[in-house]
Amino acid sequence: MSPDPGARAGSRVVWVALALVLVAALAFSVARNSGPLTEKQRAAAIESNLKCPSCEAISVLDSSASTAAAVRQVVAARVHEGQSDQQIEQYLESRYGPSILLRPPTTGITAVVWVVPVVAAVGGLGGLGLFFWRRRRPKAVRVTPEDRALVDRALSQRQGDVALPAPPGP
Amino acid sequence: MNATLGHTGVLLGLVASVVGAGVIGHGLIAKRPASLRAGQIYAGLILLGAVVATVAMERALITHDFSLSFVAENNSRATPLLYTITGMWSALAGSILLWGLVLSGYISAMVWKFRRQAADPLVGWATLVTYLVAAFFFALMAGPSDPFQTVAHQTPNGLGPNVLLQDNPLVAFHPPLLYLGLVGFTVPFAFAVASLVTGRIGEGWQVATRRWTLFAWAFLTVGVLLGAWWSYQVLGWGGFWGWDPVENASVLPWLTATAYLHSVMVQERRGLLRVWNLSLIISTFSLTILGTFLTRSGVIQSVHAFSDSDIGGLLLGFFGVVVVTGVGLIAWRGDRLRSPGGIDSPISREGAFLLNNLLFVLLAVIVLLGTVFPLLYEAFEHNQVTVGAPYFDAMTLPIGLALLLLMAIGPALPWRKTTVGTLRDRLVVPAAFGVLVAVASVIGGVRGLGAVLAFCLGGFAAASNVRQLVLAARGARRHGAGAWRGLVGRANGGMVVHIGVVVIAVALASATSFAFRGEVTLRPGTSTVIDGQKITYLKLADVRTAASSATQALVLVNGQGPYRPAVSQFGANTDPVGTPAIDSRLWHDVYLTIDRLPAAADGPVSVGVIVQPLVSWLWVGGGILILGSLLAAVPGRRRRPTDPVSAPLPGLSDGDGDGDGNGHRHGVGDDHGRRDPVLVPDGRESSDAPVPDAPVPDERVPAGSP
Repeated sequence: MSPDPGARAGSRVVWVALALVLVAALAFSVARNSGPLTEKQRAAAIESNLKCPSCEAISVLDSSASTAAAVRQVVAARVHEGQSDQQIEQYLESRYGPSILLRPPTTGITAVVWVVPVVAAVGGLGGLGLFFWRRRRPKAVRVTPEDRALVDRALSQRQGDVALPAPPGP
Repeated sequence: MNATLGHTGVLLGLVASVVGAGVIGHGLIAKRPASLRAGQIYAGLILLGAVVATVAMERALITHDFSLSFVAENNSRATPLLYTITGMWSALAGSILLWGLVLSGYISAMVWKFRRQAADPLVGWATLVTYLVAAFFFALMAGPSDPFQTVAHQTPNGLGPNVLLQDNPLVAFHPPLLYLGLVGFTVPFAFAVASLVTGRIGEGWQVATRRWTLFAWAFLTVGVLLGAWWSYQVLGWGGFWGWDPVENASVLPWLTATAYLHSVMVQERRGLLRVWNLSLIISTFSLTILGTFLTRSGVIQSVHAFSDSDIGGLLLGFFGVVVVTGVGLIAWRGDRLRSPGGIDSPISREGAFLLNNLLFVLLAVIVLLGTVFPLLYEAFEHNQVTVGAPYFDAMTLPIGLALLLLMAIGPALPWRKTTVGTLRDRLVVPAAFGVLVAVASVIGGVRGLGAVLAFCLGGFAAASNVRQLVLAARGARRHGAGAWRGLVGRANGGMVVHIGVVVIAVALASATSFAFRGEVTLRPGTSTVIDGQKITYLKLADVRTAASSATQALVLVNGQGPYRPAVSQFGANTDPVGTPAIDSRLWHDVYLTIDRLPAAADGPVSVGVIVQPLVSWLWVGGGILILGSLLAAVPGRRRRPTDPVSAPLPGLSDGDGDGDGNGHRHGVGDDHGRRDPVLVPDGRESSDAPVPDAPVPDERVPAGSP
């Protein structure tokens, strides 16, 4: 609680300036990053979402296994032909089964893995908000002299009956 | 001989834990303190049993006693001594034995630590719980997962450990450290159950076992990080975290334990969130058991699931018992858990901890769901689905960024309540630093929203935590206690841990966003430049040891080296495995693998080259994190958690020579939040303690405390 209101106002201006600089930096970074992907970038993006057929949890992009190399060839050829990401994924799914996709489909029963965390997040934040809203007027805890006497007795037992001065009121 | 000795040890452990549980149970029911005290002795017997069994196992391994089937399967005469010793945890039965050894060590330490309170029923209940857990694991070893099973026909030589487990010395550290972490949560779990059963929730026993949790948490953190380092060095794909089910299983209890370590401070300071804290610690322990089930039952195909077994059902049953016990106890004692008072404002340290808890629990929900869902899907839909890295990355990234932001704001928040203006003043310099980092990284060529945001928030958080340390050091000096005091103690150690976490987060963002992968094919003596790195291939070399034979490619990176990526063969009847070589620098790692060996010695070799920026920061961050945990464990001068609390006592506050042993805090640069109000130093963050603390009315004196 700064005693100087002038400093407070200054700091608000500083915060607005910081926010503007940050937004500008982010916008610049995103703008520079956009633009059409090269075939290689597209293939890499697709491959990172595919499971290497002979590995446990490694993507086609990361794996050096021969099965992964085979999938990479398929992806590269189909990207070159101009197929969409969905078409390529559908083809590979029909050939290798649905477990080749590292992202579970957002349709059908597998949507559960996508929906549950979002519901949990919304519910959790909502619950937290409700919790604070309902506790906006906290009940003051009344401390009776008996409570204090109890604590003092317990403390003095521990400390070999040190005479304790009366504590100031809350 | 070894089998007999081993069986004796296991049997001793089993009998001691069952009888000990019986003695303590009798003492609790009959209310006989003498039985409670007598029951403590069994902890020593359990430990003795575990040590005898471990000695028998190591003796069998070192003497290559192939009459034991475990030794025959996980050792060979050619296995080097180090991997012979680590062979004990190379497969299921032996790793359960390691679990039993660590558990009995923890039980003995716990019983010793609380020996003066042995007659307290609460300590009795806690001891009983740990004995029952021990009984379960020793029963596994006595029956379904017997590490000392003998073979009918002894072979002259054994198979040797799994290839991946004899390739890197980290196998000697990662599993034991991980177990020291996972098993350590048994102690706070036992005290959680004990305080629920006895109904004595308000006495601060959870806080008393807080340091035990911190200890286990630190070991688990180091264990997980070493696991990441190990897989980075061994697996050959350049990654350190694959969201593999077994990795997930180890990080799940870490998430809930991290949440607990934060929220327990609210209980300690304000007496709030008791149900929540008990739930978190019970969840943590349950998740360690679930993790053991996932890892060790063979339900999941994983690079780490080194064994299949039939103890899955038993582990799952034990998990069920733990969960039902925990939920049942909390439901039964729910009314007693209501804490007096409440949280005044969301803009407070308590509010930040609540949000922190929500985020960590969300992370745990995501990881648990993603790990277990494929199993459930296969069981019910009879079809396969993969939940892999893209899912986990997409779901955890926003939470990770939110946690970084919270880590920047939280430490600057005072307890109880504050104004936005105060916060604005305190955080303006750290925020300016965060924006500076963002601008610098964009100028430096970093592209992509996620990465720039991660760097910005990382800078913000790091600066905010450094600010707390500087304030603590200044405060300590003002109290004549040397600036170093501003680095030790719980809160300050916590700030150092935060800085380590920021370093790790920056490394994660950078290494996963900006990895370059390529392959070069070179003839001996030629060079090429790929992603700015000059790669020179010198020649091939064959290296043979008793246990393995390897073909190495000698490769220079920017003239440094040679680095030796290799293809190694362990024993005659295994597939060859690739062994990567890493040129690790402060700003980037160059990761080399042999993709294709030449047909002839002078032919061209294909070398996989992965360049990842800031990977080494992961391990640096891990080091900072360990340092912070150690600093946090240095005893600050603070109240004993089970002591009664009182309103401020001005008479005791004069003169900082805290030699009277009364345990009243003098707040010298230790814990920003927990200073006695009367001791608030002049002008230092005065809004931290504007209101004297009301006493927590239902604190009682623990019956057995000295």
